[in-house]
Amino acid sequence: MTNHWNDLQYADALMVIGANPAENHPISFRWISKAKQKGAKLISVDPRYTRTSQMANIYGQLRSGTDIAFIGGMIHYALENDMYHKEYVAAYTNASFIVDEQYSFEDGIFNDYDETTRNYDKTKWAFKKDENGEIVKDPALKDPRCVFQLMKKHYARYDVDTVTGVTGTDKDTYLEICQTFTGTSETGKAGTILYAMGGTQHTVGTQNIRAYAILQLLLGNIGIAGGGVNALRGESNVQGSTDFGLLYHNVNGYMEVPTGSDQDSKYKGFLERITPESGYFSNKPKFYTSMLKAYYGNSATKQNEFGYHLMPKLTPGKDYSHMRLFDAMYRGELEGLIMFGTNPVVGGPNAGKEKEALSNLKWMVAVDLFETETSAFWQKEAGADPAAIQTEVIFLPACGSFEKEGSVTNSGRWMQYRWQAIKPKGESRADLEIVHMLARKLKGLYENSPKQQDMPMKALTWDYGESDHPDIDMVCREINGYDMKTKQQIKGFGDLKDDGSTCSGNWIYSGFYPESENLSKRRDNTNEGMSNFLNWSFAWPANRRILYNRASADLNGKAWSKDRIGIQWNAAEKKWSGFDVPDFVAAKGPDDPTFNDPFIMMAGGKGALFSGGVNEGPFPEHYEPYENPISNAFSSIQLNPAVKFGEKEMNAQGDVSEYPIVATTYRVSEHWQSGAMTRNIPWLAELMPHMYIEISEELAQEKGISSKDRVIVKTARGEIEAFAMITKRFKPYKLKDKTIHQIGMPWHFGYKGIATGATANRLTPHIGDANTTIPEYKAFLCDVRRAK
Amino acid sequence: MADYIKFVDVTKCDGCRACMVACKNWNDLPAEPEDFNGSIQSHRDLTANTWNVITFNEHETSDGNFEWLFRHMSCLHCNQAACEKACPESAISYTKFNSVVIDAEKCVGCGYCVQNCSFGVVQLATYKDKNGSEYRKAQKCTLCTDRLEQGLQPACVVACHTDCLIYEEKDLVLAEANKRLGEVKERFPNANIYNPQGIEGTNTIYLLADKPSVYGLPENPKVALSQVVWKDYAQPLGKMMLGATTMAVIGAAISNAVRKDRPEGDHDHE
Repeated sequence: MTNHWNDLQYADALMVIGANPAENHPISFRWISKAKQKGAKLISVDPRYTRTSQMANIYGQLRSGTDIAFIGGMIHYALENDMYHKEYVAAYTNASFIVDEQYSFEDGIFNDYDETTRNYDKTKWAFKKDENGEIVKDPALKDPRCVFQLMKKHYARYDVDTVTGVTGTDKDTYLEICQTFTGTSETGKAGTILYAMGGTQHTVGTQNIRAYAILQLLLGNIGIAGGGVNALRGESNVQGSTDFGLLYHNVNGYMEVPTGSDQDSKYKGFLERITPESGYFSNKPKFYTSMLKAYYGNSATKQNEFGYHLMPKLTPGKDYSHMRLFDAMYRGELEGLIMFGTNPVVGGPNAGKEKEALSNLKWMVAVDLFETETSAFWQKEAGADPAAIQTEVIFLPACGSFEKEGSVTNSGRWMQYRWQAIKPKGESRADLEIVHMLARKLKGLYENSPKQQDMPMKALTWDYGESDHPDIDMVCREINGYDMKTKQQIKGFGDLKDDGSTCSGNWIYSGFYPESENLSKRRDNTNEGMSNFLNWSFAWPANRRILYNRASADLNGKAWSKDRIGIQWNAAEKKWSGFDVPDFVAAKGPDDPTFNDPFIMMAGGKGALFSGGVNEGPFPEHYEPYENPISNAFSSIQLNPAVKFGEKEMNAQGDVSEYPIVATTYRVSEHWQSGAMTRNIPWLAELMPHMYIEISEELAQEKGISSKDRVIVKTARGEIEAFAMITKRFKPYKLKDKTIHQIGMPWHFGYKGIATGATANRLTPHIGDANTTIPEYKAFLCDVRRAK
Repeated sequence: MADYIKFVDVTKCDGCRACMVACKNWNDLPAEPEDFNGSIQSHRDLTANTWNVITFNEHETSDGNFEWLFRHMSCLHCNQAACEKACPESAISYTKFNSVVIDAEKCVGCGYCVQNCSFGVVQLATYKDKNGSEYRKAQKCTLCTDRLEQGLQPACVVACHTDCLIYEEKDLVLAEANKRLGEVKERFPNANIYNPQGIEGTNTIYLLADKPSVYGLPENPKVALSQVVWKDYAQPLGKMMLGATTMAVIGAAISNAVRKDRPEGDHDHE
């Protein structure tokens, strides 16, 4: 989230697209309800009418996989009808930048595309520079090569008829949504976009979110209370886990992992590659070196490039994400797997194939509360022949959240400390204890090794105590960082150094634990203004509650609206102040040439309407999902041209001739993720005890299916059987050339636990987004029939 | 002390069912998973161990709009409670909180309260004694009277994050109900406050988004005069003269006669 949960109450309009907060983030409705009580309009855009749709003022139906068409049309509407925030766009975004002459776009393809590698040369999406190396601009936004005009041209094709012919949205409803949401472009108004996995889990997932961001920049909705692009995280600590380098291509604080390339062969070269010339990330060497000091302590010296060579390196250009790991496992290239609370036999794409891949492992360690469908993949009940599977499976019982201590970071980036409520059951251990014991054991085994390749393990500092229970406070102190000499806690990331004199495990969290106290333990619920609760827990970075909050003030540093004060320039005191911690240099005044550059993480300080950072192009463009029912109405390019295919045998593709019905998967309030926990809790299991397929009345009639019938859903990957839930909440889509049916189903079920049912992910394709490789769970093709 | 009542503003309910879990948790009630019923509604009706249920109703309104109507269904704690009137053992009573509660010690499991409840709330639970013989007890929502006695709010109310459920001073609730009625009329022209006067009002008042019948609620429930006469006059007198058992048999005859007064189809289904 750029903003945070409590802040939702300040929105004038809330557009929920690719999310279903009433069901999947119920507590958010405390704040959404407050906004509605004050007259805010709630818009729900979803393939089916959900509990969120019922709470909404406007519901717009959207065929799965057509978000870019939908939002592209809204961008078009805003530009055509002058419904954008002109001052904001001109001053705070890169609308005025002139794009250099290499940029082009024709029939779904941007310039410099290599068909064989399915890659673009992103360096060719650049701005025009003058002889001093400065970007050429047209503040009037009239130059046909400025970002604003190119964007206008790009989305001119997204007229309402073309868009609704693709998305299946009722035209009048679509226009009402456009009008309502772009109405927040008015100075003083705020609109927020809430999204979740319905936005991300597509082959165009990243560009879906880019489209939301572009729309919000145009409406002047970023940086202000009640605005923002807000990811509703699917798990209580998913924000924290990605902050701490969970993703393969990141280390802590969203910095790069080194590769085996020539450029990265020296720390200096690596830093040069990853450090931009301007923007706050120009400080990256300080953050990186401090992180290496936290990893390797005294073994990280200036002479050995701060232990840089002890870090594992990626093969350049290689994708190590979930699907690619399972591809490798399928080919027998992986020996072992350690899983902490993950259940891919239920949660993974094309789960049947992923289950097959597991049997190629020599060993698997599963850390979980319950034996899951994954840790039991070799058993008879799983449909396997135990004698034929040689994988050794080790199960480690884990603690539940109430049985352990530590912090979780919520969607609003609040790091909230939690204390142990009850003692763990039986032999179960906290994840942290398991990692601690494993690390200490491994370090012991390598202790006397003279081998160079064992150095990373030997050099790793692990000074969290000698018992099996780590000293969590020591871990916290190291995450914040301290002065290596005095051991004094540093005050914030501004104090980090690139000379090895400071350490910090994660620069974005630096400041949560100054010498005085661990701020994530704070529970002061005084509202000092705009419900930012600055003394409750700690929000990264630097306790800022709304990112880019410089943009909450106008070009003179005055709040756009007195009802929506973030921070303002205080001329008397010569500093920024207000209800939030400035996401800006606090003393930077109007005489500074970068006074109106709110987006401090971006080179140039402007919000990126045009971005060279995303793999499939500077502007989001609609492509159909991997499996799709119609030809792309916007170009002759059917699939995102930057998407990669992975292991062919894992990735069967269905055609509309055989599989004419669109399908999607989703969650329900009552179950969580693969259901490993919730399907074992009687009071939750009774609320949602059965696997079902939601089918429109129209499709049910066509197929001769009655309510409560058993039905079979079949895709190119497999088939499952479940109950038919005939509902008015799915409606056929009237697209331009034909009518298309869509069905949907929850993906929580498996054969273990109290509430059991068929696993939806047996059906889903093994293909993902071109940037993140998140699987395309949300849009695929199937056929449905009544079970005999 | 001012009277407190529970208010259910169904237009604020987002169907999350936290109230159901909170109820089972506080009252330590067992899970009762049911067969698939074609909807996401978990239980068709209230049971002796499931004291509140969110009903889900896919409703096409008279003007052709679609509304997915949710309702927190539980005991309304009537001011003139048919269950209390029907009980031959005086096991059902009103508390100082105006909640209607069943004394398990006195309940003989005869089921007259089940037959007479205007809303299908009270149900019988079957237990086994140490000899293996079955016996029955009437059970239902207590409005968390045990919590009220401790100065706490009902468990369902505490769990509700949208303030669909409120436990407040009666006058404030009625004012809020009227204010909300005005606010929701545009979207829900049939919206109404459900506080049936035929039973002297209830201690759970609803703001409904459509007519009571759409939710399977009786439009104007009443306790039959015969029941009132029976409970308040005949029973005390008769017990004195004939003894309790005989009166229970006579009571059953009257109850069955009264039951025919109940409207058809007063249960919620999608």
